[in-house]
Formats: sequence, structure tokens, C-alpha cells
Amino acid sequence: MIRDLLHSGRFTTKNTKDDCARKVLSFLRVLGGRITTPRRRASACNLFFAALPVLIFQGGAQALEVKTLSAPKGEEIWYVSDHTLPMIAVTAALPAGSAYDPSGKYGIANFAAELLDEGAGAMKSGAFQTALSNRAIRLSVTTDRDYLIVSLVTLSGNAKDAFDLLGQALSHPRFDGDAVARVRAQILNTISNQDQDPEDVAQKAFLRSWFHDDSYGHPIEGTAQSLDTIEAADLKHFAATHWVSRGLKIAVAGDVDESRLTELIKSAFGSLPASAPRIAALGNNPGGPKLSVTDMSVPQSVAVFGLPGILRSDPDYLPAYIANYILGGGDFASRLTSELRVKRGLTYDVSTSLETWRKSGLVMGDVATKRSSTKQAIAAIHDVLRDFAQNGPTEAELADAKTYLTGSWPLAFSSNTDIAEQLGIFERQGLAVDYIRNRNALINAVTLDQVRHAAKRLFNPAKLSVAVAGGVGKAPAAPNGAADAAAP
Amino acid sequence: MKRAATASGVLFAAFFLFAGLGAPVRAQDAKIFQFALQNGLSVLVVPDHRAPVVTQMLWYRVGAMDDPPGLSGLAHFFEHMMFRGTASTPGDQFARTVARNGGEDNAFTTHDYTAFYEQIAKDRLRLVMGLDADRMANLDLSDSSVRTERDIVLEERRMRIDNDPQSLMREQVEAALHLSHPYGRPVIGWPEEVHRIGRLEAQSFYTRHYAPNNAILVVAGDVTPDEVRMDAEATYAKVPARELVPRAEYAQPPRLGDTKLTVTRDDVKVPLFLRVYRAPSYTEAKPGEAESLDVLAQLLGGDPTSTLYRELVVKRKLASDAGASYSGYARDAGEFEVYAVPRPGAKMDVIEHAIDAILKQYASAAPRTGDIDRAKTQLVADAVYRRDNLLELASAYGQALAIGLTADDVHEWPARIRAVTGDAIRDAAEKDLIPRESVTGYLLPGKKQ
Repeated sequence: MIRDLLHSGRFTTKNTKDDCARKVLSFLRVLGGRITTPRRRASACNLFFAALPVLIFQGGAQALEVKTLSAPKGEEIWYVSDHTLPMIAVTAALPAGSAYDPSGKYGIANFAAELLDEGAGAMKSGAFQTALSNRAIRLSVTTDRDYLIVSLVTLSGNAKDAFDLLGQALSHPRFDGDAVARVRAQILNTISNQDQDPEDVAQKAFLRSWFHDDSYGHPIEGTAQSLDTIEAADLKHFAATHWVSRGLKIAVAGDVDESRLTELIKSAFGSLPASAPRIAALGNNPGGPKLSVTDMSVPQSVAVFGLPGILRSDPDYLPAYIANYILGGGDFASRLTSELRVKRGLTYDVSTSLETWRKSGLVMGDVATKRSSTKQAIAAIHDVLRDFAQNGPTEAELADAKTYLTGSWPLAFSSNTDIAEQLGIFERQGLAVDYIRNRNALINAVTLDQVRHAAKRLFNPAKLSVAVAGGVGKAPAAPNGAADAAAP
Repeated sequence: MKRAATASGVLFAAFFLFAGLGAPVRAQDAKIFQFALQNGLSVLVVPDHRAPVVTQMLWYRVGAMDDPPGLSGLAHFFEHMMFRGTASTPGDQFARTVARNGGEDNAFTTHDYTAFYEQIAKDRLRLVMGLDADRMANLDLSDSSVRTERDIVLEERRMRIDNDPQSLMREQVEAALHLSHPYGRPVIGWPEEVHRIGRLEAQSFYTRHYAPNNAILVVAGDVTPDEVRMDAEATYAKVPARELVPRAEYAQPPRLGDTKLTVTRDDVKVPLFLRVYRAPSYTEAKPGEAESLDVLAQLLGGDPTSTLYRELVVKRKLASDAGASYSGYARDAGEFEVYAVPRPGAKMDVIEHAIDAILKQYASAAPRTGDIDRAKTQLVADAVYRRDNLLELASAYGQALAIGLTADDVHEWPARIRAVTGDAIRDAAEKDLIPRESVTGYLLPGKKQ
């Protein structure tokens, strides 16, 4: 548990990386050799809605099909039935991410979400948690920028109780004073943890300088000051107006069939109001090129860098996704890893990703390196970007990217939890279920010219903005002989 | 929802009979198959036909405990070097080839073992087996790649340890706990010693430890045992066995007194109470003893219904988080830990007394039956949930075999958990969590000592 505690900054870019491997590694008390890349799937907008099941692949023993359920209030429900294991995995996304935080009450979306298992209906916190624990029901939440993502994993024998409890939690949350105080202390603790972690510090500084006071500019957890203004009544109001069925996106995988699932979903989500909240429009600000440094007495600096990105609905999205894979999304296959890590030994981890939030897109990356090589690492990133923007990828790089992206497709569907997670991502990206059928063909159809165009559009180093946490000069006194120590 | 998931019980079952209250669970006979190649490579296959993919894991019986004196970190460093190329797959072509074929790969090192894995479409299994067989014998170590990789590992250390006061404090606790046993040396190594690793040291480590007769192959996924055997015969079987020098065995010196250490640093914003006990591992324990420790950890601090959480976080409001975990899967000693994150203003000694009182209570009387049942339900269900993921499934078997347990130990784990009695839990609390077998650490903000 302590290991999870140590890595509790779960809203950082790091934590989006290969959660499965992380979980396994943390179980095994081990030291991973490399951090794997985020498993984000490329995709393209296709609004045709399939009525028939969509085949993901023909497995060794069976075909894996995604089916949809029609829902009375327009909720999207995608599911896969597989009876191999006696369990069900669910993700549900509600329009209750941090972008909905009102000005002055930053952190309220996350605060409310963290209270989801702290009592519902007649059950106070302890009773509710015992009800979950007695049945080994795993209920967890992730607050991202646009959505509150609820994950539920249960043994299928306990599914009725699991969905009932989730329904109670969503529709009749208690927000008791004692629980609110406890969770407030926990979030303040998370914020303090982030304050001592240069990656979190750099990321917050970057987003603040990029979005200023807009919906995406503040930390998901809020700040100590903003949390201070949030009371139980605020939380209650936020939940009542944002934990709603309009825009609700549900994905289910596992040991369940259609008629049972219909009942289960009714019990979990049937009582939610239909109203739809809005995200405030963004100002006209995308950050310009700048370098900021937040001083911290750490031996290794973290630089978070970014460029204007694109929305998921942009026609250039798929070429841009492939371009990003080649530049910085593809682990050892990426140019940044090859140049900064493999050739120069400057870092253990450098990567980029396309952030496609509902109202804004960003190219974001990060690199961690000892203080004395921070400038060198940033200069190297500039060089790699410049060449990539000017010349784009080679034919061979594009071919390799396509075989990776299409060939790794079934890996995203190899467990119930993976399937629920992956379907949830597609739903949140606004894709139709039929996308699953076409996805690999769409990737294969992208041309070199399209990727070059996207690279030129997105990866212009003149627009690069960088936030460093740590320092760009010599290290402070080494805490234990670790920092920049010269080889004996 | 700040509580972390339970971290106990890495092993899990492939056979479930039932799984707790109101949850009739169908028996799942996820059959496994075991065989060995002529060259001594052990093979274990877990068919799972849900998706047309496989996970291949190659576990070497070498880890940080095999680092030579003065060269801590060598086993982990060497794991990195395994991605630096061979004559036929030069440079970074290993990872590039896996990626080009739609695969994911990675590796990890512990004190006891080093494991490499790929997840890939099932028709590429022979390809990745060929790659792993090639680097088992034909690694191409150059001075320049060793130098660059050393810099990368030192950056990894800065990221995971040196930038993080909690990790630095844990490293000190571990070093104090295990006395001269190598479990007290960090897997990633002390920086001064990592700096001393050169090509010759890497080469001799490779020659000594990397051989088919020192490895275990685990394949989980959409395959049959015959397919795996044919692919393994075409790849790994070509690597000759080598005579192995036996691994060094280390004394676990008796601890004659408990240790307390306080780390005070100005970069600390969140204090931490951490106590780690040296406790029997699954390989050392009497039958049922390690399982009792797993149940005890769940009861003490496995989830928000646990005693530490209810008492310290909910009732007394001393801590914002508190928990316990047991790491029993080790060749030598296991570890049992309890921790708490003090709320602002809470005194460390008050927290420590509260924890001691709770531990004393567990050592003097059997827990309530309802609580024991809940803890067991959680642990057994964890086995089902982990079974969902091929990497976790393969890891359960690989880890067990790598530390000297058997596949049966994996299968029987849920039944053994169910058999744990209240008295056995009390016994474990009394006899296995002994003050002199522990190190208690305080991490505090303040001026660096």
C-alpha cells in the first residue's frame, strides 16, 4: 500500500501510462526497467451509428463483439458479454470533470467525486464501505478535466448489490460533515504531496501559464485556498447538477447478458436527473512560447512542455496521432526517446501525447533530467521538433507506426477491465461504436503527406512553451551523494 | 477514496470454488501445463482464449541479491543492458521489432529475480521467443552503451528515489532492517556503486547468470501447450545450457533490538510514519502462517473498513491515511509494514502509540468472525480480479516459480486463505510482528539533519 501512497499523484501524465503494468509492478515490489508509453488509441470521427454488434476480432475460441443498448435519456451504453470469468467491469463517465469547477471553487468536482463511497441514502460512510467490502466490490473514481469517471468491478454473483450501491451513491449521496472533513484533509494531503513532486509542480505551472483562469487552467484537486471555500451544501449542489444522465457514457464488459444488464443499469443510473451542465467557453489565450522555472531543491528537474494541439474531431487528428507516436508517443520507437535517452543518456523517460479535451487540444510532453543537463535536454527537444516539423517522418517510420498501431489493437481488448476502459475512451471521444470496425482501415489509409502536414502544423518549436520544476543550473548540496555526483 | 487497493497476496488461484458472501462463483479450471526443455529451461503455459494475444514472460533466477560486493544495482543495470542489442538485432532493434509487430514489452528487477515480457498478437509468439532466445546468449556489450545506460539508470534513480523524500526514507528503513543481508541494498543500487559498473562487470554477470537452465518461461494467452513447445523448441532450445555457479546464500543475522530512525529534511511537505517488520515469507513460513499474515494485513490495513483506517483516520482523526501490507513472496525474509500519514498537528509518538495498541489487541485475541470473513472475501476476490489480466496471471506463476514455490501453491492459495483461523491470525500478530524484528521510521519536515 505504501507504494501506491508514494505514487499518489494520480493526475499527472505519468499515471496515464500503462496502468496495468504499473499495478503489476507495484504488486511485485520491483523496479521497472522502462516506463511504457500511454496506451492511447488513434481514432477518427465517424457518426454512423451501428445497430448491429460490432466485431472487434475473431479470437481463438470466440468472436468478441461490442453491442449497444438504447437508453431512455440518451445515455450511451456499449457492452461486451464474456462469461469466461465470474466478474463484471464497468466504467461510467459523467459530465463532472474539473472543467465544471466554478471560479473560486476550484477542486469541487474532484472533492465531490472522492466522497462517492462515503455514505449514501440511509447508510453512513462506515456502513457503505462495509457493504462494498463485504462483497469485494471495487468502486473507484478518477476526476479528469472533462469527466468524472467511475469504475466498478464486481463478482457477477454480487452484481445486483454492486449496481444498487452505485445507484445509491450517485443519486443519494450524503456528504456528512465528518466525511467531508476527512476527505478534505485527504485532498489537502494529496496537494502537499504534489507540492514536493517536481513533475506535479511543473505540470500545474504549465497548465496555469497556458490556460490562465480558463476551465482547464487550475489543478483538478484545486488549492488549499479554494478547498477552504467549499462546504457540504456546495458539494451537494454540484452533485445534483453534474451527476446526471445526459451525456452519461457507460461501458461494460464481463459475465452479463443483455436483459440482466438493462436491469442493472436502471438500478445504478435510472434515478439520475437529465439536466446537462455546460463547460464555460475558453478565452482566447493559448499560451505563447515561454520558459518558466519553479525553484525546488531536487537533484533532478522535470520539464513539462507543450504546443497548441487539436480537437478529437479535427480532420487532421488521425495523422497527428500517428505523427505523435513517431515523435514521442512510441516508447523506444520514438525519436525523442532515441535521441535523448538511447543516444545521449540524458533521461530515463521522455514522451509526448495529444491531449484532446472537449474544448481544447494540447500537445504535452515531459522529460526528467539532472539539473545540470536541463538546458541541454530542452535544446535537444527543440532540435528534434525542428527536424520533425520541417521534414516529417520517413516512409519507414510511418510504416512501422501503422503496423504497431494496428497490430497492438487486440491488446486493448484482452481483459474485462481493459475492454471497459477502452470502450469508455471511445465513448468519451465522441466516436460511434462502428468506429471499432473501421479503425485499423482508417489508420492504414493515412498517407505520408497527411502525416507530414500534421507534423508541420503541430510540432513547430517556435511555439514551444516549457515549465521547469527544479532548476536549470548546478544542483543543491547533494542529499546523499546522489545528485550529479562525479564518477569516482 | 484516497485509500489504495490492497497490496497483499500476489499469488492467486486459477481454481475458484466460491468467493464470499452471496457470490456463487463458477469453478474456473484455468488449466496450466508445465514441461522443461533439454537445456533446462522450465516452461509453464496458461491457456486463455478470450483474445488472440499472448503474454510471454521470461524470469531469470537472478536479482539484486546477486549483485557482487561493491556493485549494488548491477542486476537492475543489466536488465537495462538486455535492450542494447545483439549482432543479429543490433542497437535498439529489439524494442523496435516488438513495436513494429504490434507488441508491448518491458522488464523489471527485484532482489530475487529479473523478468522480461512481451504482449503481442498470438501469431508473433515465435518471433518474440526468438528475440529473447537471442539476447539470452548473444548480447553485444560495448563500453559506450554501458556508459550511456549507466547515465540512464542514474536518472531513473533520481526520478524514483532521490527526488522523493518518502522513497529516500524507505531506502534507509530497508537498509537498517536487513542488516548485512542484501535485501537491505536498494535494487537500483547506491549511486557511487552504480558509477563503478563497467563493461567487464556487466559481461561477467551475464556469463554467470543468463542461461536457459537459470530461467523460467511463462506463456499466458491464446495458445496451446503444443504450440508453445514447438515455438520454444525452435528458439530457446538452441541456446545451450551452461554449468551454473550456485547463487550466494546470505545469513539473515539475528536482530537483537528494534531500530528507530528519524529522517528530517527541508524538502518534506508530508510527514510519514512507516514501520517495517522482517517477517516469515511464503518460502520460510510454516503451513498457513504466511496466509495468516496476508489476512492480518487485510484486517489491519487493507481497505477503509480496516482497523488502522477506522481508528486513526475515521475515529481519532490523527492521520489522513493509514494501512498495512504484507510482502510474503521472497526467497528469504518477507516484510510486513504498517504506515500512517499524520494529519497536520498530529504527533508522531501519539500515532505510534495508537498503532502499538492496535497491534497489541491483535496479538492478544482472535479478531471478530465477521471481520475475518470480510478480509478473506476480499483476498479471494482479488484472485479473480487479477486472473482477468494476462500479465498478472503470468506474473503470479512466474514469481512463485522464481522464488522456489510451485504452481500448486498458486492454485491452492484461495483455499489456504479460507482455512486461516482467528487463532492463527492472533498467533501471527504475536509471534511474527516482534519489535526487535522491526525498523520504525519517522519522516519529518524541517531543517536537514
